[in-house]
Amino acid sequence: MAAAVVGSSQELAQEIKAFISGVDPVHGNKLPLKEHARCAIVLLWNLPPARNAALDHLRGVFDEYVSGYLVELESESGARPIVGPSLDDIIQEIQSVLSEFIRVNPKVWAPIVSAWSIDLMGQLSSKYAGRHSVPHASSLNELLQLWMSCKATRMLMDSYIQCLSSMISTCPDACVDALLDTSVQHSPHFDWVVAHIGSSFPNTIISRVLSCGLKDFCMHGMAPPDALFPTAADKRIPKIASVVGILGHLASRHSESIKQELLKMFHDSLGLVRDQQQKATVPFLLQLAVMSPMLLSIISAELVDSLKPSVLNQLHQHFATLPREDLENIVSLIVHLISQMSNGAYRILQFLVNTAMPASVITTPGLAVHDGVREACDRIIQLLLLNLQKLVYSRSSATLVDAAPRPVPFLDELKRHIKDLCVETLRLERKRFLWQHQLLGLLSIYCNPSCAPDALFYMMTLAKSQEELSLAAQLYAVLTSSVSNLLPTTIKKCVSQIHSGSISEQHLIQLFGNLALLIQWEESPSSMSSHLALSVSSHLFDFGQLLLHQNPDVSKAVTLLLSVCPLPKAIRPAQLLVIIRSAVHQFFLVLHRKCATGIGYTSKLLARLSGVSSLSVKAILQQLVEGALHRGNIQLFGGSVEAWTWEMNSLEDSNKTSLLDINQRFGTAVNFSGSIWSVFHAGIIGHGLKPCHASQEQEQSEILYNTQKFMSLIIQCCSGGRYHVDPTQLQPHEVLVNPEAAKTVAVVLVELICPDVTNSELAWPPEEHTRNTVERDIQIYKRFKENPLLFQLLYFVGLGRPALCYCSVLLRGLLATLMAHWEGSRDEHTTKSPWHLQASCALVACMGEGYLLPPVLSNMHEIFSQLTPFEVHLLLLSVWEYLKDNSPLPQKFTFNAERGLFFRDFARDGDIGKYLNVLHSVLHKNIDRLGLLSGRLQAYP
Amino acid sequence: MSDIRHSLLRRDALSAAKEVLYHLDIYLSSQLQNASLSVGDKGCTDLLEEFILQVPKERNCQPKRLNSLQELQLLEIMCNYFQEQSKDSVRQVMFSTIFSPQGNKADDSRITLLGKLVSMAVAVCRVPVLECAATWLQRTPAVYCVRLARTLVEDYCSLLPGSIHMLKQIFSTSSRFCCQFITAVTALYDLSSDDLIPPNDLLETVVSWIFEDPRLILIIFLNTPITANLPIGFLELTSITGLIRWCVKAPLAYKRRKKSSLANGATGTKMGKENALGVDNDCHTLYSKLHLSVLQVLILLQVHLTEKNLFGRLGLVLFDHVVSLVEEINRLSEELNPLNVAQEMELSLDRLAQALQVAMASGALLCSRENLRTVCSRLPHNNLLQLVISGPVQQPSHAALPPGFYPHIHTPPLAYPGLPAHPVQTFIPGMTFPYRPIH
Repeated sequence: MAAAVVGSSQELAQEIKAFISGVDPVHGNKLPLKEHARCAIVLLWNLPPARNAALDHLRGVFDEYVSGYLVELESESGARPIVGPSLDDIIQEIQSVLSEFIRVNPKVWAPIVSAWSIDLMGQLSSKYAGRHSVPHASSLNELLQLWMSCKATRMLMDSYIQCLSSMISTCPDACVDALLDTSVQHSPHFDWVVAHIGSSFPNTIISRVLSCGLKDFCMHGMAPPDALFPTAADKRIPKIASVVGILGHLASRHSESIKQELLKMFHDSLGLVRDQQQKATVPFLLQLAVMSPMLLSIISAELVDSLKPSVLNQLHQHFATLPREDLENIVSLIVHLISQMSNGAYRILQFLVNTAMPASVITTPGLAVHDGVREACDRIIQLLLLNLQKLVYSRSSATLVDAAPRPVPFLDELKRHIKDLCVETLRLERKRFLWQHQLLGLLSIYCNPSCAPDALFYMMTLAKSQEELSLAAQLYAVLTSSVSNLLPTTIKKCVSQIHSGSISEQHLIQLFGNLALLIQWEESPSSMSSHLALSVSSHLFDFGQLLLHQNPDVSKAVTLLLSVCPLPKAIRPAQLLVIIRSAVHQFFLVLHRKCATGIGYTSKLLARLSGVSSLSVKAILQQLVEGALHRGNIQLFGGSVEAWTWEMNSLEDSNKTSLLDINQRFGTAVNFSGSIWSVFHAGIIGHGLKPCHASQEQEQSEILYNTQKFMSLIIQCCSGGRYHVDPTQLQPHEVLVNPEAAKTVAVVLVELICPDVTNSELAWPPEEHTRNTVERDIQIYKRFKENPLLFQLLYFVGLGRPALCYCSVLLRGLLATLMAHWEGSRDEHTTKSPWHLQASCALVACMGEGYLLPPVLSNMHEIFSQLTPFEVHLLLLSVWEYLKDNSPLPQKFTFNAERGLFFRDFARDGDIGKYLNVLHSVLHKNIDRLGLLSGRLQAYP
Repeated sequence: MSDIRHSLLRRDALSAAKEVLYHLDIYLSSQLQNASLSVGDKGCTDLLEEFILQVPKERNCQPKRLNSLQELQLLEIMCNYFQEQSKDSVRQVMFSTIFSPQGNKADDSRITLLGKLVSMAVAVCRVPVLECAATWLQRTPAVYCVRLARTLVEDYCSLLPGSIHMLKQIFSTSSRFCCQFITAVTALYDLSSDDLIPPNDLLETVVSWIFEDPRLILIIFLNTPITANLPIGFLELTSITGLIRWCVKAPLAYKRRKKSSLANGATGTKMGKENALGVDNDCHTLYSKLHLSVLQVLILLQVHLTEKNLFGRLGLVLFDHVVSLVEEINRLSEELNPLNVAQEMELSLDRLAQALQVAMASGALLCSRENLRTVCSRLPHNNLLQLVISGPVQQPSHAALPPGFYPHIHTPPLAYPGLPAHPVQTFIPGMTFPYRPIH
């Protein structure tokens, strides 16, 4: 470059003249652009005061070059451009001059050249932004490509980068300052420069940009501007805007470094010795975060980690010196920021709440935060809640007016943590649960359709005690006015959660228990319980399906819930039947399990179900009776298991034989009902005797208990229907049984005990016909023998006159077997075969109760125990005779509207005297013993 | 005046400035002819400030600014004007009217413009401008002079690599300016911090000048009528004090810079270290040379003082400055660990002792040995210094001293700087004294 150094001062003077006038001093013609530029370079080398003028002149050269370049691009013809290449060498020369300067004395030249090149780049990119070959400012990459392929701008960029890299180890602030200034001035068009430099020196640019911004912030006064009007701040602190812009560019690739820098800045500012700049750091960072949600999100996630007690105490110490007004500003800024924070919102909340908690007695010493910190956090939380409340409510009112409500990122983020929030709230820890509860309310209103049900759902699922549950109720009370349809959606949510299987069994139990509690709560706020009950009942079926849950506790809880919730008037029969079946099943399960509360719940549920419709009564009764007679349940009521174990064996055998084989053995395989082959009920030849009774004897008291429970349930169900008369007017000993219900039981009994329908009409055949039905009769007899409950049921049917008529076939079968027994019995006394005696008594009594027999005939069972078997046979025979002549038909009953019951007028059937002859003979024969009773056995017309 | 102003406002900035220069020239010439120079005609200076120095006069009316090219043109015009103005007096008056600080807000741009003008004049060898600037430096408070010097040093020593030769040539073009420049530069670079160590180029230039002609630094002193009281706040008459400070403090100051740069890790590379080492060695040589020159100048000074009948009456090296120099050395030695800098300290104190001895002998420094002893008592021990301050001693066989020269070590000076009314009795045989001591 020595060539550029002018030898004498005269020559230099000549050069100055030429440069100023633009005229060749020798020839007198106008200097061409290139020569003029050379002239400028010479001055740059030789005349310090001309530095600015020369550099300004060179701007023109670059401008010319860029414009030529763009013209060339736009012409698209690839024609030889007019100025472009001819300027290439001068551009090159300029670059080498400048780079020589920077190399020799970077300290002085780097600020000059960097400011010049940056400013020129800004000017050029702004000036040519409108050209159609220049991509729009938003497409950063294309812009970058265009300008970097232009030699002039590339050279400027290279020069700037040279400046920056030569200063990077010492003090690049001057260079970065220029960058910031220009960035403010030419913002959107200049972004490519920032992007390029930023990605070349990410760390330097980030830290320097921040430190320059901080310096600028300090100079403009550190009073934080109004948080809610950041636009006003823009004007006051211009540089911070470009800081935000530049960091915004870098954030996509270097967010990690930015985060590190920001955190480092924060920690550095906490030193013990603090200058003005360090004091301004925290407000500066806050301001940055206000202006750039992106920076906020970068830092928010990590910031909490660094807020250790010691750091907090330091912060407190530093802020303690600030004037009150500034503090207020900072706090409101923080509150604003938190409500705008999305990333890590939950952690921030946790942090605040944890820190704001009043000191507990058990605090780790040394880790304790200062009381002032705690108060500050307390205050921040309260203001935050207030602010959120404002946002949420103004937002919901705004939805009425304009379409786009303002989002609150903090709440948006918390939405995902609603469950955690509920868990936290339910801990009922001092103070904090109040905050969290309030926050839940706000959150629910904020995301209206989705969150409120979620929150309520979690509260109801997770509440373990009534105290905790009351929080859910309070939440409901808060929300009910602003959220419509809250409970139905909540229940819907519960149901969907149940269906998806995402709730553990423990929680299911809690949920159902809580729902039941809430429904039963009489003083619930805003009539929550009735609404809740309605909602639950509309999902009856969904809950009903859980009755058969494998976990007994779950099914118990569901039973409780269903038993307390009102049943809907209209429910699909199919669903109803499913529920009924499940409930009945559940009933027997709890009987097995000896679970008293479960029995109570189930009975209540079934009783209520029976009230739904006549269909339900029938279904329940049918199910109950079927269940009671089910082999597995027989034992519950004192039945023996002999029969079914044997049948199980045969069933297993039959599994081994193929149907084809059986069919081919013609004549043996087919079950000829009533044939001789079927009567070998003592066993099958080749199989040996039937196995003995299974020795599983129930406790007598349990049997009694179970029977009692079962029968009272049946009675409850039967009386559940419409009454014809006010139950309170009944005599104490009378049990009100709905005839329809009783008929159902009767029919079911018949179906179950005697599936064979031949000869099963209601009218009684002559006694001889029993020979045809021996097998069936034995079967019936066996069923009665193995299951004492049947007598109870029969008696119950008898109560519901005239339902017993429908049991004729059973009565007939039983009577026939008993008669056969007594006829063949060679014992002295009937007491020798106690079961038969008892059965005979029960049968006759039952028929009397059912008005199948007139009172005199039915009373005779009282003397059976005093007679010989044959006498009993004779008596039963006369009963048969009576029944044969006066068939037990329902038509014979008439409805007594006064008492609401059916009665039978035996007088209409004519004289019963001839049926009493045998009785009276027996009475006479045993008058010594039975004289006392003769009064009861007289017919009084 | 206001109508001129309004017409000027309509013009573009450059032609307005030219117009103001023109008017100013005419006005001052006529004033000079009338011999009734009223300094600071308000109207003229206002126009000057508004249109040449570009200081806005009215808040709402922003005059057109000169752009950088126009500014360059203006500089050229002014250079040419001063070059072509044949009348010395007009030129001087013009120069001081434009550039003398007025104590108002225009001073900043005034000094900036002056810096550029002088810098340009240096580059294109405009002798009249430099002469005027030399005078300006004499009459202007030191703070402004220092700023001018700084501008020139920045322009020619750090900004433009290889342009120091232009600065060097002012030695031949305007020795007055050159002399004043050295004084200003020594006032500016007092080595009190790393930044205030003179750049190598500057040092080399200054040393080469003085080595070539030691008389250079006395030019102003010789060509100026000496007033009794040196005004405070202005540049000193000579740069001797400053140069002594350079020589004495240099070893320690360079040591300190080396240490701090090592601490900063700036010269991390081996190359850098070697370079710095080489440069520092060169500098040491230069300072030795400079020291020699200073001593020679002091000896010359004795002759001139005698010629001007000022020997013993005018202390060119003020005792106060010696005191502050000693304090600075003390501070430096405290800053550096004395054990590490024993060698440098030895060199410094040797130079100090020599300079003091010669200065006292040549009548440049007027103080008693007693005072000197108290001042120097806190310095680290140095044999030579001990000899100098402890006197009386036998006549030292100092090579630098001409034979037959006896310093006045036996008698304390009777007068102190600033009190020239009290003549100083010195013991120099063969010399006649116009003032007899008063007993």
